[in-house]
Amino acid sequence: MRNKLLVGAVALALPAIAASPALAQTEVVVWVGGEPGQTTVYETIANQFNEENPDVELTVVTNTSDIFNPALVPALSAGEGPDVFTFGTGPGQPAALIAGGLVADLTDAYYEHNWSEMIPEGIIVQTSSDGKLWSYGNEVETTGMFYNKAIFAEHGLSVPTTWAEMEATVATLQSAGYETPIGLGGADKWPVSHWQSMMFGRYAGPAGIEEVLFGDGAWTDEAFVKASAQLQKMGQDGWFGPSPVAIGYGELMDSFWAGEIPMTFTGPWVVGGGIAAAGDRISDYSVFAVPPFEDGQKIHPTNSIGSGWYIRANSEHQDIAIAYINRMFLDLKGRVTLLNNGVVPVGPLDEALSEASMPQLSVDIWKSADDHAANGSVPAFLDTITPGTLTTVSYDGLQALLLDVMTPEEFTSAMQEAWSEAKAAGEIMLPGGLAAR
Amino acid sequence: MLLDPDSNLAKRLNPVLFLLPAMAIYLVFAIYPTISVVEYSFTDWDGINPKREYIGLANYERLFTDKIFWEAFRNTFVWSGVVIVINVGLGLVIAAMLARVWKARLIIQTAIVLPVVISPMAVATIWRWMYQPKGVVNQVLEAIGLGALKTPWLGSPDAVLYALAFAHSWSTIGLSVIIFLAGLQAVDEDLYDAARVDGATPVQSFRYVTLPALRPVTAVVFILTLTQSFKVFDIVWATTQGGPIRFSEILSTYMYKRGALENDYGYGAAIGVALLVIVSLATIIYMRIQHREEQ
Repeated sequence: MRNKLLVGAVALALPAIAASPALAQTEVVVWVGGEPGQTTVYETIANQFNEENPDVELTVVTNTSDIFNPALVPALSAGEGPDVFTFGTGPGQPAALIAGGLVADLTDAYYEHNWSEMIPEGIIVQTSSDGKLWSYGNEVETTGMFYNKAIFAEHGLSVPTTWAEMEATVATLQSAGYETPIGLGGADKWPVSHWQSMMFGRYAGPAGIEEVLFGDGAWTDEAFVKASAQLQKMGQDGWFGPSPVAIGYGELMDSFWAGEIPMTFTGPWVVGGGIAAAGDRISDYSVFAVPPFEDGQKIHPTNSIGSGWYIRANSEHQDIAIAYINRMFLDLKGRVTLLNNGVVPVGPLDEALSEASMPQLSVDIWKSADDHAANGSVPAFLDTITPGTLTTVSYDGLQALLLDVMTPEEFTSAMQEAWSEAKAAGEIMLPGGLAAR
Repeated sequence: MLLDPDSNLAKRLNPVLFLLPAMAIYLVFAIYPTISVVEYSFTDWDGINPKREYIGLANYERLFTDKIFWEAFRNTFVWSGVVIVINVGLGLVIAAMLARVWKARLIIQTAIVLPVVISPMAVATIWRWMYQPKGVVNQVLEAIGLGALKTPWLGSPDAVLYALAFAHSWSTIGLSVIIFLAGLQAVDEDLYDAARVDGATPVQSFRYVTLPALRPVTAVVFILTLTQSFKVFDIVWATTQGGPIRFSEILSTYMYKRGALENDYGYGAAIGVALLVIVSLATIIYMRIQHREEQ
């Protein structure tokens, strides 16, 4: 009897064991950093990849940016951590990872999989050094002024195209009782740096920014002081509300989608959350380019790669990691999925756009950038391409500007001091480019 | 070969054997990391490169000239002062009042202790919401006629540290109350009867009976609160990350920024060791008081 029970139990267990996908699967761990809603699409594509490759199980772990790097660095240093992960790109943040030998050289993959057809030279420069490619610069990001068309219509406002019109728009909204015409989310610090990146770019132009990042320029140059002074003045005039550094980004976006704040300067990553929060009212929202701050100034669209995709140097699954990267950014299905979620992958888009149905708000933001593309673009996120020490100084300094406890000159001097120290310590990456084969 | 359980050797070995698993865990998860942190504090390690150079006391010398470290140090002391006043002072008063309340005592006690078991991140989220410029705190102040006190709590350089310390106290005072209540139950009721016969008012009873009787317990709560408040991190990080600017920067958040965010692990470790020394000193004082009490 006992033997029969045993045989029965084994017979019952066998199909279950055979059906268990975990037994024959290779587990590949993916870490993605970013704000909630921004990372969902990578999980979606990972799920698609898993369905197409039954012998592989991609596990995607997402985390917000403030705790992502502190978790990633010790994991990599311990020789463990994710097989494939996102991280900042040059010239600031990945230099230490590369010097520490923690990330894989992707140059072979670049040539083997014809990545050159997708990755523009400008992005290669930011993701390579010493003739080697270290990451796949994934998506293009921009920033723009999101606004509530319904509120604008109610108060007879149209999209401002000059700074005088912008001032009049804010004044009208303030008189109408909106004590925060432009939401900022300054308690979280990083949203203020979006303004900083855009304004530094407007005042210095693409060449001025390049000169600091890769040349002998300094953050104390007049253009950056003027940009900082302008940001401070906007804060003093109440454009960001009575207490711009008391409200976090999450609370700000809740208020924006609820129709309580008319404008906010942000990027396409909010679109998914906006559709969920505003529902049918999402058609009330659109995007415009902030007008030039002074006469003769050009609108330079902000343009950055969100981050780069790296592969751990000692990962045993580098081939699968590369296949996942290819599935996301080279494969048509992946590119369409990205576009449908408001994420614009690098490279030619015609084929993917013909099959995608991008949310209108995403189309609007890219149109607002494309309209001025001929002027040359500037980085959207200086905080992700400069060393961590400079980022800390910038974040604190931007809050200090808004609280009026620091002058623009003091702010830019503090930035320059941190930049010089990082440069002297070799913590910045020099412009890249791949060795020809 | 098994030892005779009644043998002298077995009697000596048994406690050691029972302690071994806990000691092993303690060694691996507390002692070893602590020694590692001390070791890192003498290096220039960036947390990434496997190579690290020993730089002697250079990181500790930096501490003395680092203006932000001293700001964080001062903020940590102010924070601890506020938390001690609330958790020890108010905690004692609440416990003394609760000891005299019989109706609904359990409900009140539960309400006070409940925040202790809430995750610090949840506490941070609750208070981040309540401290918004149009949040509950300002709405209540307005409703009770104290509108002049309204402020953007988390964005105000003058208020942020106190506001967060208060929130921390809200989430930890329950533990103080429980310890005080336990101490109060040990006070002889005859002492209160005698005071009443002598014509003492309730305030005088508290001053001359309760306070002296609770002196050892108060010392314990004081030291526990002090060590807890020096170690706090979550609520500050999840609400302001030490901001605005550095106005709520405390030693633990500064250590995290320098070490983990700026990849300056050697210096971050030195800040950690400084914090360890302060907390250890407080713990030694606590243990001495406890030892004296036992004697």
